[in-house]
Amino acid sequence: MTRGYHDIGGDQAGSVPQQELPWLHWEKQVEAVRNLLGDATRRIISLDELRRGFESFGVEKYKKLSFYRRRLEAMIDILIEKEVVAREELEAEIARVRARWRTARGGLP
Amino acid sequence: MTVRFRVGDTVKVSDLGKAGHIRTPFYVRGKVGEVIQFCGFFLNPENLAVGNTAGPVIPLYRVSFRQKDLWPHYEGSPGDKVLIEIYDHWLTAAPGITSGKCEAERSS
Repeated sequence: MTRGYHDIGGDQAGSVPQQELPWLHWEKQVEAVRNLLGDATRRIISLDELRRGFESFGVEKYKKLSFYRRRLEAMIDILIEKEVVAREELEAEIARVRARWRTARGGLP
Repeated sequence: MTVRFRVGDTVKVSDLGKAGHIRTPFYVRGKVGEVIQFCGFFLNPENLAVGNTAGPVIPLYRVSFRQKDLWPHYEGSPGDKVLIEIYDHWLTAAPGITSGKCEAERSS
């Protein structure tokens, strides 16, 4: 039977950690962007499309990334795949925003 | 697409051997359960996963499985169930087969 590396229902997993994890600001932003991309107006990326994205990462990358990092990386992959943005365009924007932050923080790394 | 199953029908989950994004977990494939609700018609997530939103819509059912049928060493109450929504094309009719018989078949 074909079984995806994410399809782990029923596997032994040890004890369940009981502590509450903080929901980080950037994680909320990832979810906000995902909602906008998938809403009825835009329909750019469906939830199933996003899932297909991180289910195609390969097991090593999948296991290395957190829940929201997976979603973020899958959104990027699919936006590039659909030619909504180009990789170069995204990288240029990341560099621009990073530079703006450095300036705002007074030249700190 | 017609609604093939009714509430109370016994169904077996197929193993379609599909690659890509699917919504039928590994642990219910080949298992027998009971339809407990018709959930409505929805776009097939396997098509949505590759950006195909054209349809058609397909029936989705809520299926009940006995926990003890899913896990070989289940130690909870024999009445414990797992409820999962499964799309029409993953199900085949399994009239006359009860979850209990399925258990017996597996252990033989």
